[in-house]
Amino acid sequence: MESYTRYERARIIGARALQISMGAPLLVKTEKIDPLEIAIEEFDQKVIPITVKRKVGM
Amino acid sequence: MDASMEEQIATMPVPEKTKEQLRASIEGKAITGDQFSTITAAVITEYERTRIEACEAVGIVAAQSIGEPGTQMTMRTFHYAGVAEINVTLGLPRLIEIMDARKEPSTPTMTIYLRPEFRGNRDRAREVSWQIEAAPLHEFADITTDMENMQVVVQLIIAQCEKRKITPATIMENSPKKIRERRHYRDFEHEIDEAKALIRFFPKDIESYQNLFQLADHVRNVIVQGINDIVRVVVRKEGEEYVLYTEGSNLKDVFEVEGVDISRTRSNNISETADILGIEAARNAIIHEALSTLNEQGIHVDVRHLMLVADMMCMDGEVKQIGRHGIAGEKESVLSRAAFEVTVNHLLDAAIANEVDELNGVTENIIVGQPIQLGTGDVKLIAKPRLRV
Repeated sequence: MESYTRYERARIIGARALQISMGAPLLVKTEKIDPLEIAIEEFDQKVIPITVKRKVGM
Repeated sequence: MDASMEEQIATMPVPEKTKEQLRASIEGKAITGDQFSTITAAVITEYERTRIEACEAVGIVAAQSIGEPGTQMTMRTFHYAGVAEINVTLGLPRLIEIMDARKEPSTPTMTIYLRPEFRGNRDRAREVSWQIEAAPLHEFADITTDMENMQVVVQLIIAQCEKRKITPATIMENSPKKIRERRHYRDFEHEIDEAKALIRFFPKDIESYQNLFQLADHVRNVIVQGINDIVRVVVRKEGEEYVLYTEGSNLKDVFEVEGVDISRTRSNNISETADILGIEAARNAIIHEALSTLNEQGIHVDVRHLMLVADMMCMDGEVKQIGRHGIAGEKESVLSRAAFEVTVNHLLDAAIANEVDELNGVTENIIVGQPIQLGTGDVKLIAKPRLRV
């Protein structure tokens, strides 16, 4: 996949942040507390186990 | 610029037009290989930046981008556009006309381009213009109403006929025929005097002065040369070539005239363009007309917004207006239509016709309380199995 659009990025980070806030095990070592910030860090390191399914032509 | 650079430009993932602009701007400049790759990389990132991401709400952006500068347009402007004293509706009234997809614009005009043999010479261009401009009989002749003998006498002026390249014989032959066919007036007899270049018209009813004057009126105004709808033609030099501007529009007949360059000639009548040249031509006409109307007012809107509007208007193979009788009123979705106007009627009709709403659009999904198919709402997430590194 080339790169995520900003909407896809927002959606992935959002979904992951929700998981983290509900107690999912973290995939990065971090000092951060805020689930959203942790999700962003995970996204930047490309370790989030979520991707998008695109329609044809996107 | 060497061959390898040319090859690199040709394979760049940017539109042809950008490539051409790039070629033009680096032409004749001494550029090292390093500099060249910096330039191409910058061009590509800049191009990527102008692209729209998937799921972007382009319709809303287009509406705002046309609407906001639109508020600054002068409310009522009936300008004399720089083009030689031909009056053209411009500004907001014209924009409304385009969006409403009116059958006939309030000031139809054409821009007629000429074939290579005719475009360079003023006199040749004028010759074509005579074939197009509608000329009534009274421009070629002295017309007198002889009340004593109850007749209308038409004395052709030979000089005038020669000037406009039409033989007196043709006029004499055509004018009675055209009064009958084009003006649907048949209550008269006529008599041609070839030698004197004279035509006499007699009303059927010899007793009635009213008929005589009616006949005189038809004789005076019958179009003997040119195309009926085209009231006036102005020849203007545009750069290297002569171009004809007309008041009135009739693409079909103008295309038949010798010397007209069919591939470039255009009309500002969009529905006529759609009928004669097809829907793609109409789409281009909408874009061209809207863009030039806005630019004339000093408003610069990105073409892509207008292209989107034009695409929506032409999507179904005919030019539809934006509004009640077009795009908004004929939408596929029942809920969307109900949200627009006369809610109960739409719902009732849909119920009777057993219509189904697929819930594809924005309005429908808002109504039923679902996320809309835009932005983050249109992203489908799936689990990605973790890669063991």
